[in-house]
Amino acid sequence: MSDCDQALANLYLYLDAELDQASAMKVKTHLEACNGCDAPFDFERRLREVIRNRLGEEIPEVFVLRLRTLLAHETSGAG
Amino acid sequence: MADQATFERDALQHARQLYSAAMRMTRNPSDAEDLVQETFLKAYRAYASFEEGTNLKAWLYRILTNTFINKYRSDSRRPRQSDLADVEDLYMYRRIGSADSAEAARSTEDQVLDGLVESDIKQAVEELPENFRLPVLLADLEGFSYKEIAEILDIPIGTVMSRLHRGRKAMQKRLWEFARQRGLLPDDAVRP
Repeated sequence: MSDCDQALANLYLYLDAELDQASAMKVKTHLEACNGCDAPFDFERRLREVIRNRLGEEIPEVFVLRLRTLLAHETSGAG
Repeated sequence: MADQATFERDALQHARQLYSAAMRMTRNPSDAEDLVQETFLKAYRAYASFEEGTNLKAWLYRILTNTFINKYRSDSRRPRQSDLADVEDLYMYRRIGSADSAEAARSTEDQVLDGLVESDIKQAVEELPENFRLPVLLADLEGFSYKEIAEILDIPIGTVMSRLHRGRKAMQKRLWEFARQRGLLPDDAVRP
């Protein structure tokens, strides 16, 4: 397996920060040296940011209030 | 032992995040609110058994996902756990890069990443079968580690990894379709 193949095989684990330190360092060193591999890592990283940023949902304030009231009620009821 | 009096302060700060996950699980605001509310009530009542100093966020997500699975999986709306077709690695990247120079590919990447709107991303996640959707949400929305996801869903780490991997690839395939429908791809990348 070439260094490039090995780095690509570890792409998801690397981006998920799930590689052990030595393997992560190996990928990092390879990415700094290899133009070809930098691009897919960069794309996947950016795609993840896009997904994370556009997947969230605004919680209705009135619902937050209801939760607070409910928990306050539970607290006094339990005491 | 955790004190119930501190529950409101410590747990409610996760409500926003839990609500986002609940929306992607249930797909509608009224079920999401029910799910989050039930999660907090259960968590409050069980809080004395929560070990202080351990991961409160992960504990809340465990209650959330268990509640979701018990309450909604039995619904006739989603009776079957379908599987996913296998999709190749780097699905989007390889298609963007195949036809063009590095520079053109980069500009297509930008166009795709900027052009996919919230509803595309949400729909791509929501269409995943539940056993793939939950690991994807926990990793990509919440940033939990494989180990945390394994504990939250009570499945082995290897299962987390394979479902996450396949779920993400299926999502990429769907996002690629959205990109095409939205006209985000240059003509020579539009070939199937």
